Amino acid sequence: MNALTGLRAIYVKEMLSYFRSPIAYFVIAVFLLGTGYFFTYNIFLTGVGTMDSTLQNMGILLLIIAPVLTMRIFSAEYNARTMELLMTLPLETWQVVLGKYLGAVSIFLLMTAATCINLVPLYLYGTPQTLNILSGYIGFILLGMTCIAIGQFFSALTENQIVAALITIPVLLGFWFVGHLQQLQSSMMLRDLVAHLSFALHFADFIRGLLRSEGVIFFAAMIAGALTLNTSYLQLRR
Amino acid sequence: MIELDNVVKRYGSKTIIHNISFDVKKGEIVGFLGPNGAGKTTTMRMIAGFTEATSGTVRVAGFDMATQRNQAASRLGYLPESPPLYDILDVTSYLTFVARAKGIPAVEIPRHLERVITACRLEAVTTKECYKLSKGYRQRAGLAQALLGEPDVLLLDEPTAGLDPGQIQETREVIRNFGRDHSVLISTHILPEVTLICQRVAIINGGRILAVDSPEGLQRKADQSNSVMVDASGDRNSLEQSLRAVDGVSGLVIHAHPVRASVLSIDCLVQNVEGIEARIARAITSVGELYRLERRQPTLENVFLSYIGHDGAAVTSSTEIHQEAA
Repeated sequence: MNALTGLRAIYVKEMLSYFRSPIAYFVIAVFLLGTGYFFTYNIFLTGVGTMDSTLQNMGILLLIIAPVLTMRIFSAEYNARTMELLMTLPLETWQVVLGKYLGAVSIFLLMTAATCINLVPLYLYGTPQTLNILSGYIGFILLGMTCIAIGQFFSALTENQIVAALITIPVLLGFWFVGHLQQLQSSMMLRDLVAHLSFALHFADFIRGLLRSEGVIFFAAMIAGALTLNTSYLQLRR
Repeated sequence: MIELDNVVKRYGSKTIIHNISFDVKKGEIVGFLGPNGAGKTTTMRMIAGFTEATSGTVRVAGFDMATQRNQAASRLGYLPESPPLYDILDVTSYLTFVARAKGIPAVEIPRHLERVITACRLEAVTTKECYKLSKGYRQRAGLAQALLGEPDVLLLDEPTAGLDPGQIQETREVIRNFGRDHSVLISTHILPEVTLICQRVAIINGGRILAVDSPEGLQRKADQSNSVMVDASGDRNSLEQSLRAVDGVSGLVIHAHPVRASVLSIDCLVQNVEGIEARIARAITSVGELYRLERRQPTLENVFLSYIGHDGAAVTSSTEIHQEAA
C-alpha cells in the first residue's frame, strides 16, 4: 500500500472527528475571542499599529489552547478501545502519528488564519511593518506546531484526556519561561542552554522580524523529537 | 493460515501465555474456548499484531507478525472484544475510513461497503452516528469493518456478545459463509456456538492450550461421562447386584437420599447404548421401588468444565463412579 494512502486515511478521519464534535469549534472560538481581546487592548492602549504585543499574547494563549486541542488525540482512542483497530490495520505507526499530527496542525492553521482579520484595521488605519508581521506569524506557526507535537506525545501516555492536558500545560509553560532562569545562571554554558531551550526567547526573535535559522532549527528539532518519541512509545506498547 | 508456534507472552515477570502452538487452516473455522481471563484475548491480540509475543512465532497468511506485520495485517480482519467504533462518525464514514486504511482503492470502496453492509444487515443505520447504535448494531458494525477488504483470515473476539437470538443466527450465518473459503478464529465462551459453526475447538485456560479437537471428538469424550441418576428404595445389596448385572452399566455410586431416609440415590455410569434407561428401570423394579430416573445429557460443557478444572456435578459423579467401579 502507498505510504500516503494510510496517512491520508488517518488525516481525513481526524478532520471529520474534529468537525463533528464541538472541540474544534470551541477551541477556535476561545482562541479568536482571546486574540481579538488582546489585539483591541494593545492597539487602544499603545496607539501603535503593530502586531508585536498581540503575537506575544497569542503565544501565551497558545500554551493553554494547544493542550486542549491535543489532549484527546490518543487518550480518546484508548478510551473508546479504537486503538486496537488503529494498531492492527495495515498502517505503519508513523503514519498514525503523522496523520493525527497533521490533523491537529490543520485546525491550528485554520485558527491562525482566522486571526488575520485583525490585520484589516491595522492596514486600513496604520502603516505596519509587513516583514515583521510575516516573520511573527512564521514564528507563531512553528511555536504552535511544536506545542501540538508535545501535547500529542503526552496524550499517547495516558487514557485520561484531562491528565494529558494537565501534564502538557506545565511542560509548555516550563519551555516558555525557562529563559527567565538565564539571569540566575553564573556559568555561560548554562545561560546558553536555557536561552536555547526557551520558546519565549526564540519566538521573540521572530516577532522582532529576525527570521533566524537557529530558531527554525530549534522548533523543527523539537517537533521531530516529540513525534519520534510518540512513534517509539506506541511501538514499545505493542 | 494462522500458525502459532511455541508462543509465550510475558508482562514483566508474569507469564500470561505459556508456549502455545496451534494452527487454523484455509477454509476452517476454529473456536477458541476458555473462561474469562484464560488468555483468549491476549492470544487474539498477538495474532492481530496489537501486542507482540515475547517469544515464539505468530504467522498470518504465511507472514511473520514480528517482522512482516503490515503484510500480515493487510490479510487480516479483526473484531476485538469491544467493537472499535468512532462514536462521532456515522457508519458509512467509519467503514470508509477502515476501507481506506486497509488500502482498498477509492473506486472500489462503494462496492466493498455495499457488500459488508448487506452481509451484516446494516442498511437501516448507514447514516447514523455510531454512538446512536444499539449494542447489536455496534457489534455488527464492528464485524462489518473486520470483513472489509475480504481478508484471508478473520479473528473474532466474542462476535455474538450482546446480540439477540435473531441477530446471533444471522451473524453465525455470515461467519459460516465467510469461513467456507477463508480462515476464521472465533473466541467465545458460548459452547453451542462452537458446535454449530466450528470445525475444530481449542480449549485454553491459564494461558495454556488444554485440548485441540473437533466438536465431535470432544462430544465423544463427553459421552464417556454419561450417567443415569436414580432414586429408589429396597435392599441396598440387591439393588447394587441387580444394577451391576445390567448390560451397559459400568459403575455405581450409592448414597443416602438427602431428604427421604428410606430412599437411596444411585448414580449409574453408563455406556452410550440405546434403551439403557429402560433396562435400569426394569432392574430396579425387579428388586425394589423406583421413584425417579433421570438421564444426564452428555454435554460439551462437561468436557469443557473438566478441562478447565471447574468440575461440574455430572463430571464429579462420573469420577466417583469410576472410583467405585475400580
